[in-house]
Amino acid sequence: MVPSNMSHRQTHNLLLISKLLSLRDTASPLTLLLDSLEQPATPLVKEYIRRARLSNVHVTLIAFETLKPLEGVDAFISGRRKSPSEILKDVAAAYQPDSSNTPNRRRLILIDSINPLLRSTRLDKNFHLSTFLSSFIIPSGSPTAKIDSSLVITFHLDVPGRPAQSPYAPDPLTVLTYLATTVIKLHSFSHILAQKAARDRSLVPPVFGLAEEQDGVLLGRLDKPIGKDSAEGGVVLEMEYRRKSGRGVLEWYLLPPASRYPPTQVKEVVTLLDDHPLYRPPEEVGGGDEEEPESTFELRLTERQRREREGVVLPYFDAQQGDGPGEGGRILYDMGEEDDFDEEEDEI
Amino acid sequence: MPSQPALPHLLAPYVSSPPQSSLTIVSSVLGATSNWLVLRFLYAALGNPSASNSGYDISGLENGKKKKVVLVSFLRGWEFWRSEAKRLGLDLARLTEKRRFAFVDGLSDLFSSSSTPSQSPLSSHQYPGAGAVPRTTLPIRPQPTPARLRQPVPLSTGSNGIASQTARESGPITKLHFSGSGVAALDALEKEIAAVINELVDTKLGDDRGESEIILVVDQSDLLLAATGASKGIGATEMGDWIMGLQQAAYATIATISADSPLIHNASAFAHEAPPPLETEHAAFAVGLAHRAEIIMQLRNLETGAARDVSGVLRVSKGSAWGQREIATAEESWEEKEVLYFVQRDGGVNVFGRGE
Repeated sequence: MVPSNMSHRQTHNLLLISKLLSLRDTASPLTLLLDSLEQPATPLVKEYIRRARLSNVHVTLIAFETLKPLEGVDAFISGRRKSPSEILKDVAAAYQPDSSNTPNRRRLILIDSINPLLRSTRLDKNFHLSTFLSSFIIPSGSPTAKIDSSLVITFHLDVPGRPAQSPYAPDPLTVLTYLATTVIKLHSFSHILAQKAARDRSLVPPVFGLAEEQDGVLLGRLDKPIGKDSAEGGVVLEMEYRRKSGRGVLEWYLLPPASRYPPTQVKEVVTLLDDHPLYRPPEEVGGGDEEEPESTFELRLTERQRREREGVVLPYFDAQQGDGPGEGGRILYDMGEEDDFDEEEDEI
Repeated sequence: MPSQPALPHLLAPYVSSPPQSSLTIVSSVLGATSNWLVLRFLYAALGNPSASNSGYDISGLENGKKKKVVLVSFLRGWEFWRSEAKRLGLDLARLTEKRRFAFVDGLSDLFSSSSTPSQSPLSSHQYPGAGAVPRTTLPIRPQPTPARLRQPVPLSTGSNGIASQTARESGPITKLHFSGSGVAALDALEKEIAAVINELVDTKLGDDRGESEIILVVDQSDLLLAATGASKGIGATEMGDWIMGLQQAAYATIATISADSPLIHNASAFAHEAPPPLETEHAAFAVGLAHRAEIIMQLRNLETGAARDVSGVLRVSKGSAWGQREIATAEESWEEKEVLYFVQRDGGVNVFGRGE
């Protein structure tokens, strides 16, 4: 591994996630969060809201699942029993951009779960997901206006979809992943660690929750099964960012639990998953190449011992000098200062 | 009376005070039903720890607020809940008179066209003769309970004399009636249940003063989904919206749902064949509810097979919505846990950890 390569990746990708989560320069107009019961997207959504508040972004939450508005949300729009066009109208009404001189506030539109909308039996045939989503981002009045809204959509992977209405229509998830400029899939850190531990031993990685297919199990996650203060809280983000050029950036990040940092912290809290000590333990300094058995005895040599051992002329070197039969092969030994001369032993 | 406390102490923190405007999901399978747990929720809200008969005045008073319960049941009738609660020392009929409890019957007349959907007292003339008897005998406890046969509770007799006697005891109970199709039909049901809730809130009867917390228990509403389905224009989204509407009317909501493997896993992404619509809708409803719940209590069979002294496993987890709450107060803090339980013949329940 080239260290400079690693540190380059570190800086670059950390800057990228910071830009994405803070909605800087509308780096990603459409972000798709793929979550499951095992790791809900709530911590990440809260992190989005926290950062939006820090940078004075107007937050709109379109709620299909949430009953009460989350803290920090400027406009709360219940999507219950509403048609897509009604939702669009409400969202547009929630924030009126100032036409005066001040630059508009940037806008974050969150959809807490798109599944109920996609499953609704009342959707008419004229509903097109791509049109619906793009009308959030591009204001209908002036197509040339600068885009300053970001859309973050949560999709539950474990809720089965509606059977396709037309055999040729793509699955809604396919459409969403195709449209999204950033796709973030969420994993639970403890599950990632358990799966890594299994892979390191060439075992089949364990599955959790619904994937266990056990009768009566919806949710496999237990908060803190072993110790109360395990450092395994946190959300692993598997991110795919599509650049304008079409190239993708893939990276795994770790978002620590919200209790670990103050809500006003500006410094980046997300780290690379590879940098986490539990995921990739730091290698031992200097002892990487040679594995030596551990015991209570000190079996390794000190630097000085190694130098002196290299200085010893072994008997067969002496024998090669060819001084004739009987000669050579002697043990040549220089007394060191710590050697204790013993008459009886050395008289032979 | 059961020998052990009606509310096992391991269970108490999870059932006694559901947080405000929360949704608690109790999932069950065929071999591990949720009736006992629903009764524990009722007991935690309505029960009187000191005495069973001498007034309910001190019970359910927490923070000066009275707890009241509305039970909407789609799989069990009034007789079942009344007799089961009696085994715990809860007199539901008397609590109904005291305006602490209301029962909404979603079983008896849900799809019968003769009865009116309005509130009507349960009396003998409402039963269309023998047709009512199979309905009231449907809900039999799944656990083998020979003790029940010795009890004087006339569950299976169903004669007219008994029914009218019940009417005197119970007072008005609401019977749901499904008519029409689609969202309009669900809205009508929601309105009826909301009317019952509102009646409990601002009742002038009884010894009611000050604020009250209404806890809504919706038992096995997946029956409604299974019985109507796409032909009536009702799917998982509509059902989820329906529960959400009910949530808005109550202080806290508890919903039970079936989580048997065929209902959940046939429609999962791991299945290869195209799943039938019932399974798809049920799985979407159940998983969608779990995504919205604060607390998820899962009941299942023991993995190692049937045992004489264990009825099943209860796992309590935090649902997706738990993370939306701000920093939990001291009374709301609880740990996720997995315990075993045993339902005894007398209806008492033992809850214990593995190996205890």
